[in-house]
Amino acid sequence: MERSKYPLYFSFPAVIVFLLFFIAPTVIGIYYSFTDWNINADAIKFIGLENYKELFNEPRLKQAFINTLIFAAAVTLLQNAVGLALALLLNEKLKLRNLLRMIFFMPYVIAPLVIGYIFRAIYHPEHGIVNQFFGLLGIDFMVQDWLNDPRFALFTVIMTDIWRVAGFSMVVYLAGLQFIPKDLTESASIDGAGYWTRFKHVVFPLLAPAFTVNVLLAMIGSMKVFEIVMVLTEGGPGYTTEVFYTYIRNTFSSGEMGYATAINMLLFVLVTLVGIPVLLAMKKREVEM
Amino acid sequence: MRSRKYSPLLLELLAICLALLILIPFFMIFINSFKDIRESALFGLSLPSNWVFSNYEEVFNQDNLLRGFKNSFMLSALVVVSVNLFASMAAFVIQRRGGKFLQGVYLAFIMGLIVPVSIVPTIRLMDLLHIKGSYLSIIMYYTAVLLPFAVFLLVGFIKSVPRELDEAAILEGCGYFRLYFKIILPLISTVLVTVSIVVIVSVWNDFFGPFYLVTDSTKWTIVLQVFNFVTLYSTNWGVVFAFMIVVITPVLVIYLFLQRYIIDGLTAGSVKG
Repeated sequence: MERSKYPLYFSFPAVIVFLLFFIAPTVIGIYYSFTDWNINADAIKFIGLENYKELFNEPRLKQAFINTLIFAAAVTLLQNAVGLALALLLNEKLKLRNLLRMIFFMPYVIAPLVIGYIFRAIYHPEHGIVNQFFGLLGIDFMVQDWLNDPRFALFTVIMTDIWRVAGFSMVVYLAGLQFIPKDLTESASIDGAGYWTRFKHVVFPLLAPAFTVNVLLAMIGSMKVFEIVMVLTEGGPGYTTEVFYTYIRNTFSSGEMGYATAINMLLFVLVTLVGIPVLLAMKKREVEM
Repeated sequence: MRSRKYSPLLLELLAICLALLILIPFFMIFINSFKDIRESALFGLSLPSNWVFSNYEEVFNQDNLLRGFKNSFMLSALVVVSVNLFASMAAFVIQRRGGKFLQGVYLAFIMGLIVPVSIVPTIRLMDLLHIKGSYLSIIMYYTAVLLPFAVFLLVGFIKSVPRELDEAAILEGCGYFRLYFKIILPLISTVLVTVSIVVIVSVWNDFFGPFYLVTDSTKWTIVLQVFNFVTLYSTNWGVVFAFMIVVITPVLVIYLFLQRYIIDGLTAGSVKG
């Protein structure tokens, strides 16, 4: 049957919605990032590169850029490490396996905003259960003002996000582990390979697809982090936890829409640059259409 | 992979301790939602010295609560319909017809999986289209944001539906609309369930979209109501926690019953993709 007989117009609703509500905002965003669009002014004036000039002189942008990258790198690394460890643990024949899988995945279905509020209480310097716990154990150097101390705030936000997303990676790794034939690891075991050797030479290579997907998803997702940071620290103290999306929100709230759009454009460029390898990886996985 | 060094019991114990790390925060807000204003501000894990149920009364007296649920429910439902319909129609011809244009479309959708939305210009766009702040604007926003994932997943799946089925149907004199509705859609229904789960979880839990796009508080979703409520009541944590419990309980109950489908659905893109 001829391919060209399939009606092209079937794709139109999706194409139109995507073009109008995803691509068009990005394109007009390029224009608005060159304007002084402000909530307090009626007219929008073209000001050329002014926004960008101002942005690049702003130490806050550098902070947001660095923090976003630190956050993304740390979350990607730890989410995978914790997720993989949990998957290996649950892959042992545990009695409560299904229940545990459900519990570890649970935070992923709750709104990040709500999780942020829960943890704001948990990190409370005096009464929060984190400090209560360490105080009880007598580990005094772990009793800290986790969210308001510039030394720890970013770390705390990262840990909270790991708590939220590790279960997701775990499930993906668990699914990967299911595909590894039992006899393979058993025969390696008979040959005298220890746990670590078996993991390194048999299990991990076979987990490669799950690993790729997990890393890519974590990277892209974590660069777009917003709610958790907004609720926990609002980018503070100072700008020590400022990320792109909190920076955009704060500029947006003060009405500087053109400026906020320029920041959004920089995020767009950053994510696209990191995302190109992702795109290539996905193309590779794709069988011919 | 059995390890000889550790007994299964020890591993089980370790896993349970880690699970407690997940459960304790939820327990903390649950137990504190029954405490009075003074005690709930201590965020402790102990039982309330006297059980206060009026926190919940106060929460249920909020008009915003029901309205928030209604808005979240309605938006999720409508976005489920639009994403499933538009994405499956597009995926069908992208996979079957191919060609330069549709290849380009597919590539654009894949790009859409990666790049962030330009949210501030989106507000401007909605203004220019005269739909700023309306339900329609937020539905279109979500549809556009969720289409890439749905198209990506569906194109992959439609590959596994044999072309011979199409050919037989067309030879029998079936039109393309009927082919799509009567033959293709039923065959891909499991993936449509997956897409729906992803859409519902994304829309229900999202704060970002409505925060920027919806200014009228009567149209706020439940997550925005949480944000608003915390801002108003942050002096009484007992009530705030009660509000959060009311908001997350339906999600957790549904999760409890449909956990297998939900977990599989949310990870489908990464496991099969």
